[in-house]
Amino acid sequence: MTEFLQALILGLLIGGVYALLASGLTLIFGVMNVINIAHGAFLILAAFVTWSLWRAVGIDPLAAIILLTPLMFAFGWLIYNATVRPIRKAPAAASVLLTFGLALLLEGIMGVIWGNTSHSVRPEYFTESFQIGELFLPKGQVYGGLVAIVVLASLYLVLTRSWLGRAIRASAVNPQGAELVGVNAASVAALTFAIGVASAGAGGAIASVLYPFLPGSHYQWIARLLGIIVLGGMGSLPGAVIGALCLGVAELMTVTYIGPEWATGVPYVFVFIVLLLRPQGILGTRLRQDVATT
Amino acid sequence: MTGSGTTAVGEGTLKGGGAPPSRAPSKPLRSPWTAVIAVAVLLIALFPVLSDDLYYQNMIILAMVFAVGAVGLNIITGYAGYISLGQGAFIGLGAYTVGICVSDIGGSPWVWVPVAGLLAGLVAAFLGLVAMRARGHAFVILTIAFLFLMQLLATNWDELTNGTGGITLPIPTWSVEYQYWPFYYTLMGLLAVSLLVSWWIRRNKFGMGLIAIREDEDKAATVGVSTPTYKILAFVASAVFVGMAGGVYGYYISFIDPLGMFNILLSVQIILSLLLGGRDTLWGPVLGAFIIEWLNETSNNEFQGGNARLLIFGGLLVLVVIFLPRGIIPTANRWIEWWRTRGKAGLAGERLTGIDLHARATPVREAPEPSGRPLLEVKGLEKRFGGVHAVDGASFTVAEGSITALIGPNGSGKTTVFNLIGGTMAPQAGEVWFDGRRIDGKPPWQRAHLGLGRTFQITRLFREMTVLENVVAPLQGFHLGLLNANAVSGREAKRAEELLEFVGMRKYRDVPAAALSYGQQKLVELAQILMLDPKLIMLDEPAGGINPTLIDRIGEMIRELNAQGKTFLIVEHNMPFVLGLCNPVLVLARGRTIATGTPDEIQRDPDVLDAYLGEDFRLEQPVGT
Repeated sequence: MTEFLQALILGLLIGGVYALLASGLTLIFGVMNVINIAHGAFLILAAFVTWSLWRAVGIDPLAAIILLTPLMFAFGWLIYNATVRPIRKAPAAASVLLTFGLALLLEGIMGVIWGNTSHSVRPEYFTESFQIGELFLPKGQVYGGLVAIVVLASLYLVLTRSWLGRAIRASAVNPQGAELVGVNAASVAALTFAIGVASAGAGGAIASVLYPFLPGSHYQWIARLLGIIVLGGMGSLPGAVIGALCLGVAELMTVTYIGPEWATGVPYVFVFIVLLLRPQGILGTRLRQDVATT
Repeated sequence: MTGSGTTAVGEGTLKGGGAPPSRAPSKPLRSPWTAVIAVAVLLIALFPVLSDDLYYQNMIILAMVFAVGAVGLNIITGYAGYISLGQGAFIGLGAYTVGICVSDIGGSPWVWVPVAGLLAGLVAAFLGLVAMRARGHAFVILTIAFLFLMQLLATNWDELTNGTGGITLPIPTWSVEYQYWPFYYTLMGLLAVSLLVSWWIRRNKFGMGLIAIREDEDKAATVGVSTPTYKILAFVASAVFVGMAGGVYGYYISFIDPLGMFNILLSVQIILSLLLGGRDTLWGPVLGAFIIEWLNETSNNEFQGGNARLLIFGGLLVLVVIFLPRGIIPTANRWIEWWRTRGKAGLAGERLTGIDLHARATPVREAPEPSGRPLLEVKGLEKRFGGVHAVDGASFTVAEGSITALIGPNGSGKTTVFNLIGGTMAPQAGEVWFDGRRIDGKPPWQRAHLGLGRTFQITRLFREMTVLENVVAPLQGFHLGLLNANAVSGREAKRAEELLEFVGMRKYRDVPAAALSYGQQKLVELAQILMLDPKLIMLDEPAGGINPTLIDRIGEMIRELNAQGKTFLIVEHNMPFVLGLCNPVLVLARGRTIATGTPDEIQRDPDVLDAYLGEDFRLEQPVGT
């Protein structure tokens, strides 16, 4: 029972980090119908920058979020305007291939800068745990999960309370309509992409404490995040949160009861099961498509 | 509705004129290329005999592995429009099949190569099954998940795969004199067969169906293409030879491990081969594969592989998507085409002049008197989108031989009713009966086969097909032999031309549908569904967004077709058009039928005036049918 409870709590905490990362991915998909395959590479990049800051200056990885979020926001905005923007009107398949190419480029660049060896960020509290009864909760995971929830909550506030948030949601529902009422869809798309990458920045800083990483880790991360948004319903933010919590718990249960080497397979199995049984995901809806002009 | 199924519309015009020449669906092979290709093939075939340079033999072998992968990928990506990032996994699957069979069962690796193909085909069929309801993006994600799942299995399933330790295959037993010849020529044979299959698919109904799926999958289903069957068969066709090539490749490099075999870079290189050479062309994937293998060698030799390979292929992918989205061969063809046709005016630019309907042929036979029996019956249909009741218990019948109108305010559920009848959507409750059969559980293509044809509010033609191909695309049934039928047979082309003549669009038969104006597209869409020879024709706003002359012509066509026995159900907002053409008129409001009657009755019905027409509605023209 203790074992189960421990797996459940750790799963939910890690699920919170996944939720933050998946929100950025699903937001980008919802607004511009682009699957950002480079999302995993962005988050590994953030993890490497966090590692360098921690190594060189001793900045706490969780505090580095304050620095990394605007940095990755700017980076995302630049990348969008340089690469994704020119193919905005191209068929959807083009964006998948493009962001896949970006992921490979980033992987190669990180390999050149940091090398293809495993890195991990270990602040002093890394080896400490909170002990509640018989439960041992590593401090790194507890702090990471809590910080992720705070960042995620502020993302929700931005999306629901600000003009930009309303413009983003309007563009997601009806791009032409949003343009007609004065939303510049292209710049909203750029900002959305930047926000998505910024969330990968914040999540990447947290992830650098939770898992060791190397440039090639981004495949595993993107597979995990894609599994989450497929499960939750592509384009749905609440769906991403639910999917993330489910995946976090399912992974920890797999580690506890089946074996850690199979944990990476959980998101792939999610994808297969969801597409077979409920292709629109938990919270996805199927809308009429015949009148859509895009 | 008995007699010859083909209600020969306007057959008279072409009688004695002979069948027009049938035309291949596209021209992947153009004359300037034929010579180049012939020389290249000859050179590659003779290379091992002429030169004993093993370095280049090795390169060509690897290029041919990529080429087989890319030619296969072309079937689902180029023809059917589904992007796969997991194509490389079939190479790994094939290699592992051969490796495991040789080490666990024994025998020559060659024996197991066909088994590798078979297994790849089976796995592809399973993937196709999972992907049956998944579109675009979801499918891409599925292929990524598939690739990583295979890698995970190969890594963790120690008893079968020896995990990360990998499998070593026996060293070839033939004399060194023969160098790599057996690998070389086997792969060349596999490539030839792949190309043959690819060519065969593209020129037949099978390929036509795949292109229709690529252009508009829902629409393809409504014109009788049984999309899941097509997709699954396409996936199998795209994987079988890749699995076999993977088996040969595994034997060739003689060592198989999870990271090497299920490396995502392999998939990237296959995709790049296809993109670079040109999607939806026969030889593009082969050309691309040779370029990519050359780049691969260069990056390994000049830059020691690793990160350089990532930068080169990642960068190339980005550049190709942005700057060369069509690939080399289609772009070159465009330039050649531009060079040939410069200075000539295009047909699509001409003004559409009115045609005299009466100068055309009269119907071949008179239709039977309208029987009045219900052809279509809708009972208690319900459809909710979240909390919105788009259709809320709609019930009505459409009598055989009638021109029935379905009118109602915007958002009253008219188009949704069409979607439920046509099968593009499934109702939450209610029944649909057509021609004495209950059809609400049937997929759209089966409804089309039964004789239900529909157009869409916003026209949905297959944009990259020509007008003629669009009209020929509908299928009146499905059987395996159909896949082997010519994409455009002479008989079909003749019938399609008659239909195009009927709607006055014959001049445009070779113009791509995307180049037509909205009104012209409406006419072609009408011709397209007439190809199904439907009993019931459902038109969604046939007069919407087109000029008055064209509206009159469409009205005349509807009358003429009705005189030949076609039943119509029409959604339209143009009241003079509806009230002058249709009888009876059904009125839908808030997802329910609130009135049924003759145009006269409808205009006086207080409920209808209140819900839709408005108090001050008076039709200026006299009303009659």
